[in-house]
Amino acid sequence: MRKMVIVSAVLLTGILMVTGAFAQKAATLKIGINAEITGDIPKVGEATKFAAQMYVEDVNKAGGIEVGGKKYLLELAVEDNEAKAESAAKAATKLVTVDEVIAIVGPQASKQAVPAGEVSNNYKTPMITGWSTNPNTTKDRPYVFRACFLDDFQGPALSIFAKDEYKFTKAAVLYDVASDYPKGLAEFFKKDWEKKNGPGSVVAYESFTTKDTDFSSQLTKIINSGAEFLFTPQYYNEVPLIVQQAKQLGWKKPILGSDSWASDELVKLCGKDCLGSYFVSHYASAGAKGATKEFIDRYKAKFGNIPDDVAALTWDAIGLIGQGIKNAGKITGDIKKDREAVRNAIAGIKNFPGITGTITFPPNSGDPVKCANIVKINDKGEFEFYKTACP
Amino acid sequence: MTVFLQNLINALQWGSFYALIAIGYSMVYSILMLFNFAHGDIFMTGSYIGFGVATALIALSATGMLALPNWLILVLTVLFSMVLTSFLGMFIERVGYRPLRDAPRASAAITGLMIGIILETGNLILLGAQRVKFPALVEPVTYDLGGVFVTNQKIMIVVVSLSLALALHQFIRRTKWGMAMRAMAFDYAVVPLMGVPINKIAAMTFALGSGLAAAAGILFGVAYPVLDPYMGIVFGWKAFVAAILGGRGSILGATLAGFILGFIEIFVAMVFPSTLRDFIAYSIILLILVFRPYGLFGEPYSVRLRL
Amino acid sequence: MSTSNNTQSLPRRFGRLRRFFQEVPLLGWLLGALTAVLAEQFVGLDLAHLVELPRIPVLFGFENALKKPELIPGTVLYVLLVYLAPALLVARLLQLPSNRLAGFLAGRWPAVSIVLHLALLYAVLHIWSDINDYRMIVVKITLIAVMLTLSLNVINGYMGEFSCSHPGFMALGAYAGSVVTIVLFTNSSMYGKALLPPAIGPYLYPLALIVGGCAAAVGALAVAIPSFRTRGDYLAIISLAFTFIVKSLIENLEIVGGPRGMRGQPDWSNLPTVFVCTVVCVAVINNFVRSTYGLALNAVRDNEMAADAMTINTQRTKMIAFLFAAFWAGVAGVLFAHVLRYVNPGTFGLQQLAEVLAMMYFGGLNSVYGSIVGAVSINLLSEMLRPLEIWKWIFIPLLLILVMIFRPTGLIAFRDFDPVRLIQPKGRPKSNAQS
Repeated sequence: MRKMVIVSAVLLTGILMVTGAFAQKAATLKIGINAEITGDIPKVGEATKFAAQMYVEDVNKAGGIEVGGKKYLLELAVEDNEAKAESAAKAATKLVTVDEVIAIVGPQASKQAVPAGEVSNNYKTPMITGWSTNPNTTKDRPYVFRACFLDDFQGPALSIFAKDEYKFTKAAVLYDVASDYPKGLAEFFKKDWEKKNGPGSVVAYESFTTKDTDFSSQLTKIINSGAEFLFTPQYYNEVPLIVQQAKQLGWKKPILGSDSWASDELVKLCGKDCLGSYFVSHYASAGAKGATKEFIDRYKAKFGNIPDDVAALTWDAIGLIGQGIKNAGKITGDIKKDREAVRNAIAGIKNFPGITGTITFPPNSGDPVKCANIVKINDKGEFEFYKTACP
Repeated sequence: MTVFLQNLINALQWGSFYALIAIGYSMVYSILMLFNFAHGDIFMTGSYIGFGVATALIALSATGMLALPNWLILVLTVLFSMVLTSFLGMFIERVGYRPLRDAPRASAAITGLMIGIILETGNLILLGAQRVKFPALVEPVTYDLGGVFVTNQKIMIVVVSLSLALALHQFIRRTKWGMAMRAMAFDYAVVPLMGVPINKIAAMTFALGSGLAAAAGILFGVAYPVLDPYMGIVFGWKAFVAAILGGRGSILGATLAGFILGFIEIFVAMVFPSTLRDFIAYSIILLILVFRPYGLFGEPYSVRLRL
Repeated sequence: MSTSNNTQSLPRRFGRLRRFFQEVPLLGWLLGALTAVLAEQFVGLDLAHLVELPRIPVLFGFENALKKPELIPGTVLYVLLVYLAPALLVARLLQLPSNRLAGFLAGRWPAVSIVLHLALLYAVLHIWSDINDYRMIVVKITLIAVMLTLSLNVINGYMGEFSCSHPGFMALGAYAGSVVTIVLFTNSSMYGKALLPPAIGPYLYPLALIVGGCAAAVGALAVAIPSFRTRGDYLAIISLAFTFIVKSLIENLEIVGGPRGMRGQPDWSNLPTVFVCTVVCVAVINNFVRSTYGLALNAVRDNEMAADAMTINTQRTKMIAFLFAAFWAGVAGVLFAHVLRYVNPGTFGLQQLAEVLAMMYFGGLNSVYGSIVGAVSINLLSEMLRPLEIWKWIFIPLLLILVMIFRPTGLIAFRDFDPVRLIQPKGRPKSNAQS
């Protein structure tokens, strides 16, 4: 039976040899994008895709990345993970085994990034997530990195800022209990604040569930708790609702935020209610200089909106991969060896000049060391650099 | 006490949305015996249509040809969007539900879910993933009533939704069409034999329900001005809960159940740690149904389930 | 198997072609499929290069062809040469011996025959997914979806309720099973050192599956007990509330990681395990629904009062159906958690619910066959259409709506799934001898 198949295959080979010829492989390297294009958070997927596309176009316009004296063009393989864990794992497997990418950017949200990280690590393919702050994503996974900073740094940074700036002692926190990023940040903030100001100094610790739009009950509690400021580590699409409802319920005290506020959509959606608030950010779009400003201007010209933190972090994530490829020294054509070389090169990156800050990976860790900026939303609705906080 | 009163007001506003959406759900459900799982997404589409109409009207009045005051823009937006969304509802009924009228009810539920996905994805394709801000048609003014804060928006939302519910109730009680609808809810099989145009009634039911969803969508846009394509899903499922909790064939029941659902969610968050809100709120609903197995106002089935 | 379905739906002028193949038994088709995957294994890559494909088309070429139309001829050629031609040829050529073998076995040892068929099916899946790990994960997730869909069919199809509690059952199973394997067999940061040597873990994995299933079944009491007094729509919202409650509960349980989820499940959901679980699940559920219990379920669905009058213990029937279905959903949950090696409460939400409902009603009510077809086709379709990106979510819903309109009870509804009939030889013995 098998013989027959082989015989027929040989015959066919003969026929096809006349017409078929092996395609010449161009010197390209593939980078995978595993993004949340449909599902709950389509904006995240869109920003990821746009930033990556822009980077690849840049590189290719310049003739490609030079590795070991030879230029390689970049090619993107984009997969949608539908904001589902199993789809993210499938997409990662597809990128690794079918598209044979050299490295993967994304997924961004932790629900997808943790299982996809498992896949990438198993197949020894470098993966950088821009946005996922869940410690599980990179823990014990030498091939998985992230471009953002972790909650255990950002939370204390904020609590120090609130203490130094306002001399406050009583804090209120409002966060989404069903989403791991706000929850982690809220916990670290609470821990640090209570360490500094004594137990019970977080007078209100309230939560809601993803996709909620009404926070009035929680805000009423917060307002009546005697807190001096509100910390809400939510995404920029929820912040306007929280801030406006707080104002309507009579809250006049400061509101502080986290890096997830950093989107020009925040001001567009929120209007004047958000002016004067502070938040921690990777970068400030107003008054940005150098590479950051150039990135913002070009992104805006190309896609019509100011890049949010996802776009900026994706840009850095893919930039880290580009740097890794450059530092790898040589592309052998054996995808396994190349991936390992790129991984080692990324792990050894020191002082990478990212637009969200200077990135260094400490030994044996995929979590970068970088500084945070405290940003103020000024009266014109621009994000203005206020202060730097370093770990 | 002020906390309680404040939450009462919060719950009134929150419940208004559940109520308005639940009414539309409940009408389709009681008259056609369908789970209209696309309803949440009709609400979303209504909100976006409202956004489009309002933006267009504002642009029009900005050109100076017609200087419209904001309140007029709001009224026009509500009217236009209700009409447009009604057409959408009728279209969905014609395409997705009418062919399935004699099919198992669950099949129609699946078409509903799928139409919902198409509306969401279509929106995503048309408008991109950018969230949109609903124009501020009502400038919020906050009144301080002895520590209880009320905004003009809240008052408007509660008043408008209650009056819409009452108007619909009157329509169904008093008019000939309303009578036909009640008859259809009472007995689906015999009514067509009496010469009631069943297709027209079905289309009208959908039109009314979708119109209400559009009104809810615009009020939602006024109160929570951030719109995104997936915002209807949770509302759809919760309206499903409210509509059935309210019992079959009862507009007031659905309204009340919507408010009750809103009250439960708000007050659970007030009394208990808010992290446990969903857990406790839905345990309460489960318990209600254990003790009142046919909803708050419903009666046990006399008719066999059409499945 | 897919080819036989295709030929049925083709117009009449293909009737002759169909007749040509109509006496091929299932055994023959499986042998044909086996040949095809073997052919792919040995000559697939060379052939792919010959027809100017960059690599072996992973899911019948859809992933290439939809994005790069210039690859369509090559893909079609590949599918023809590697899958269709060998499968059809071998199936037809071996018609006589396979019919004889099937007849011989079915007459004497039907059990052996069933095992042989299953072994062949497994071999086909194994060899096919061996080419590429992406295929492997697709096959695994698809098989798990079959279990889920089938168990949902017990409640929604056979008993006629509209239950929305499946994500909840699955979550309970996934978490309970993960806790067992992580606590007992892995050194984790959450629960410390392994309590038992990890080496014996794989042998005790069935225990974790059973624990997961039982956890889901216990949770199902919360839906089953109210179902004594109410049904239909009211039960639907009870089950929906149940899903919300489970999700909220897990989000608040820090001990299982809260919203951050739980990571580090051992990699024990390999293809043989998932396949065996699926087969056992299909067999058990099929026996269940064809037993008197299954008939009692249908009776409860069609008229509860009459069923009661006919001395059916409706409460017991409902209870058994719920616990039984929840058990299998829980097992599927454990497998799912161990395929991804990560669970997160966000996975078990409304999206999961919509998906499993869609698969079940698409496949068909009251039909084991239908559930298998529904789960497999929706899963494969959703993978194959990946290149369409966002348009995929216009295309798939449209397809489902059309199916619902033209076949309101689903593709294959109310069809009995009889494995013994399936393995019978086809055609009369005489015509066998002639051909």
